[in-house]
Amino acid sequence: MIAIDGALLADLVCPVTRTPLTLSAAGDSLVSAAAGLAFPICDGVPVLLVEAAKPLASPGDQIIIP
Amino acid sequence: MSAPEIFNRKLRRLRRDRAAPGFPAHAFVVDHIIESLLDRLDLVSRRFDRALDLGCHDGRLTKALRGRGIEVVSADAGYRFAKMAGGIQCDEDRLPFADASFDLVISAGVFDQVNDLPGALTLIGRILKPDGLLLAGFTGAGSLPMTRSAVMAADIVHGGAVAPRIHPQIDVRAAGDLLSRAGFVLTVADGETLSVRYSNPFRILSDLRGMAATNLIDAQPARHFNRQDLATIAESLASQAERDGAVTERFELVFMTGWSPGPNQPQPARRGSGGKSLADALKPAPFSDRVDITRPDKP
Repeated sequence: MIAIDGALLADLVCPVTRTPLTLSAAGDSLVSAAAGLAFPICDGVPVLLVEAAKPLASPGDQIIIP
Repeated sequence: MSAPEIFNRKLRRLRRDRAAPGFPAHAFVVDHIIESLLDRLDLVSRRFDRALDLGCHDGRLTKALRGRGIEVVSADAGYRFAKMAGGIQCDEDRLPFADASFDLVISAGVFDQVNDLPGALTLIGRILKPDGLLLAGFTGAGSLPMTRSAVMAADIVHGGAVAPRIHPQIDVRAAGDLLSRAGFVLTVADGETLSVRYSNPFRILSDLRGMAATNLIDAQPARHFNRQDLATIAESLASQAERDGAVTERFELVFMTGWSPGPNQPQPARRGSGGKSLADALKPAPFSDRVDITRPDKP
């Protein structure tokens, strides 16, 4: 359902901390555990803007463990 | 965020989103920059595998690069442009890409709207692999001289003071300095003038809007232009017009070329490795076309 490919995801990092991002369980956001932020994916477009990110309820709660 | 910001990021996204649907009709400056960038790219003999199109607009440069067999990731600060190009939305000075992700970063027509350009260049240096290429072109210093003087005239006549309406612009020399400061090597910064003839001078303003190039300065002028201002602008533009009423406006384009440092790049020769004496090389040749003139001691 998400049009974001693995190669691109591997190259994306959090714009705040420059640490890797993980796809959320619902697949609708990219989670930066280090910054405690979830960046939305709107209609297939990852929106990697600090002002568009939502803080995580508790760190790590949406992360898929690979 | 301690450093003051020049441009309003929110406004910039809004302007880009508004410009997106009608962009093709106003894309001629970006198209010209793209053409120049591709000319420069085609002169480089090495092959690039993975590129970032930074400030991708509607994806026209992305498409051209893919046509050359390069894998491209597109990015834009505006959502609609990012969506049109199938890319991601991010700011140039807060790049969300891992170190050494690309061997080419190419950018057409956005570096003049970046808040922290030195920071953006440093980040680009990081996301480039060693011996990766940065190619960028944007509108630089000296652009839009007629529009500038016309809006200044309106502000002085009706507002009593000049308001910040035209962006601070980067000149060629500063572009070169910025590249070296960000750690790029084999850098080149050069300029090109694009003259655009307008039979209806007011089309300049609609073109600027259509290419998302209108004022983004964070301290927005308190005074909005009214009918009187527009009359003064029209008068000022008319006074600068040619005999047939057409106005030729200039876009001074600045181009940046720089490589991230790599092990196999040309290096200066080691000190003392020369085999010939410089003193000999500089001696005047016996049969040169040099003309010696001896002036008399006294007039």
